[in-house]
Amino acid sequence: MPLQSVSQGFRDISMTFAKHPLTNDLIALKNTNAIQRSLKNIVFTYPGEKFFDPEFGSKVSRMLFEIITPLTANRIKREIEYSIDRYEPRVSLTKVKVIPNYDNNEFNILIAYDIIGINVPAQQLDFVLQSTSQ
Amino acid sequence: MALINFANLDFDQIKTTLENYLKDNSTFTDYDFEGSNLSTILDVLAYNTYITSYNANMVANEVFIDSATLRENVVSLARNIGYTPKSRKAAQATVSFFINTSDIIPSPATITLKAGPVATSAGTFGNTSFVFSIKDDITVPVVDNEANFDLIKLYEGSLIEESYTYNSRNPNQRFLINNIGCDSELINVTVGINDYTEKQKYAFQNSLFSINENSRVFFLQEIEDERYEVIFGDGVFGKNLSEGNIVDISYIKTNGDSANGISQFSFTGRLTYTRNSSEYVVESGLSILSTDISASGGETIESVSSIKKYAPRIYASQNRAVSANDYETLILTRIYEETESISVFGGEELIPPQYGKVFISIKPRSGEFLPNLIKENIKRDLKKYSVAGIVPEILDLKYLYLEVSSNVYYNTNLAPSASKVSSIIQNNVTKYAESSELNKYGARFKYSKFLNTIDNSHSSVMSNITTVVMRRDIRPALNAIAEYQIGFGNQFHINSMSGYNIKSSAFRINGIQSDVYLSDIPNTNRTSGSLFLFTISNPSSADATIVRKNVGTIDYISGVMTINPINIISSAKTKDGQSIIEVSAAPHSNDVIGLQDLYLQLDIGNSVFNMVIDQISSGLDPSASNYIVSSSYSNGYLVRS
Repeated sequence: MPLQSVSQGFRDISMTFAKHPLTNDLIALKNTNAIQRSLKNIVFTYPGEKFFDPEFGSKVSRMLFEIITPLTANRIKREIEYSIDRYEPRVSLTKVKVIPNYDNNEFNILIAYDIIGINVPAQQLDFVLQSTSQ
Repeated sequence: MALINFANLDFDQIKTTLENYLKDNSTFTDYDFEGSNLSTILDVLAYNTYITSYNANMVANEVFIDSATLRENVVSLARNIGYTPKSRKAAQATVSFFINTSDIIPSPATITLKAGPVATSAGTFGNTSFVFSIKDDITVPVVDNEANFDLIKLYEGSLIEESYTYNSRNPNQRFLINNIGCDSELINVTVGINDYTEKQKYAFQNSLFSINENSRVFFLQEIEDERYEVIFGDGVFGKNLSEGNIVDISYIKTNGDSANGISQFSFTGRLTYTRNSSEYVVESGLSILSTDISASGGETIESVSSIKKYAPRIYASQNRAVSANDYETLILTRIYEETESISVFGGEELIPPQYGKVFISIKPRSGEFLPNLIKENIKRDLKKYSVAGIVPEILDLKYLYLEVSSNVYYNTNLAPSASKVSSIIQNNVTKYAESSELNKYGARFKYSKFLNTIDNSHSSVMSNITTVVMRRDIRPALNAIAEYQIGFGNQFHINSMSGYNIKSSAFRINGIQSDVYLSDIPNTNRTSGSLFLFTISNPSSADATIVRKNVGTIDYISGVMTINPINIISSAKTKDGQSIIEVSAAPHSNDVIGLQDLYLQLDIGNSVFNMVIDQISSGLDPSASNYIVSSSYSNGYLVRS
């Protein structure tokens, strides 16, 4: 049987740079939280924003200014799927749902995924995409 | 892992180095994943390092003249070692015209051509029109109702004036020439105490020698964007300015080499005369402008690579002409910038040696020889730099011409036409003749390369048989008894022991009433021979009559001919208004070199490219029964026609 690499878990830094009340150290994001943060970063980064990697990110933020229709929702869905597949090797997407909320001019996003390499249950990430903050 | 690679200028490599560092030293693990926060922080750190490295690298490069790339920095570094780069140079043309003043009553005593634009290029020249100006007023007397403006030197460009008032309370005041494209040799600087007094002219100076606190001089330096700054003396070296002085700077803003070659002008100047202290404009009586000398000599600003090359050499020569290199550098950059190629050697290298002399031969950009006036000017200017006891001598360039005669075999099935292929070949050969491979001292004519050039000119060219002949032109001292020695620097080929290996053009000598020609007859040792003169009924005749034997000697090995004292009274050929005798010989080796001061030139005008149908390849004569044979050793006629 071939050797299987076992992940030691994922540890990322928190962008709040807040202090942990007990250890007085920087707060670290672990495993599921780290991956969740990473997914959000990928979706919210527009291509060209990252130094010397002009293709990184997704074009979702630009699409939010388009007319809210099922078609736009579908394009956002495909863009999210494409960018996560390309830039986040730690997850395996199971479902991406983009639901237009016509009254509030926003999209509700639901991303369901499995994490590869650590033994955790299936994950789900919900957030709202708005063209401008209200 | 320690950070070991400090010299990285690549963003990805810097980031990889940081990731490798974290791999060994951190509790965080997500640096590998591009979406992670840590990756964003690494991006910022790597970008910061990248910018710092790039800046450090640029700064370090720009500090040294060898690696600096920005013109401003190269110029500044050159300035530190006392080198002022050459500015753009205006093309100069000479024109003449006259004014008929019979319409002006009473006739004025003088007519003045005002400084500023005088003429524009007539018609379009490369879709651009050029203005030609003068920098000072020119006044001529009116004689018999006619004012003649003869040989007026025009400079391509517009005359521009800038004025400053000196303010001693402003320590940072600069006197700038604000336009790009100023010709630094055509700058006029005048300083007036105030608006009402006469202005005094200041002269350009580039060294501190021979100036004192009262010298009216200005210095010049190139500043950013190819512009110039005028600097005045400080009261020790050069007179300094005082409060309220009016500084007027006028200069020609030129287009450099773009205007070279313009030969037709139309008048756009302003002519005036003065009567009762009032100035009136001349409006009629102007003749057409006749061009005496077409526009030439315009140059672009000195390039960065040229500054990098010459600034250290000028510094090394310390403004003194001592070694041969010093002479070459000084003449090229300071004395005669029209030099295309220069060769300098000490008299001790000659046979017999001439100690205390240095010999300079210069190939000018235009023409083949330096006029005597320019030679004198160069010698005079060299005195400022040369060491006492060394006499510079400027030699006329010795050209060694090469004439080729080529029989080109071509396949009629592949050639559009014989003349078309012939013109392609001649174009390519002309390019080779004009290339820097030949046009320099110490050049070598590479026979095989030359054959290859012909063969590769067109797919229809099957082969070529090419013979090479060397030629030198003797410039005889007419009606004077003189001895002549001409060296070819290459061994002669003895085609026939019965003579006529050397050929000459016709000339006449005192005592013989018909054209004579020079030729040789080898001794049995095949290394030397004697020269004789003969006559011939016509150039294609093979029936020669020897009229004078032993008129000189020939050394076949060193390629030198010596003609004993002889009185030549005329010659059949002239070049640039001077009589010449062409002497040619076949070289022993087809790779001909330009030895020492000989300047090799491929003379396309006297070369022959003969197209011959290759009947075998063309399928016209598969058995080669009627094949046209070309000799590789043909000697042709006895004389040069």
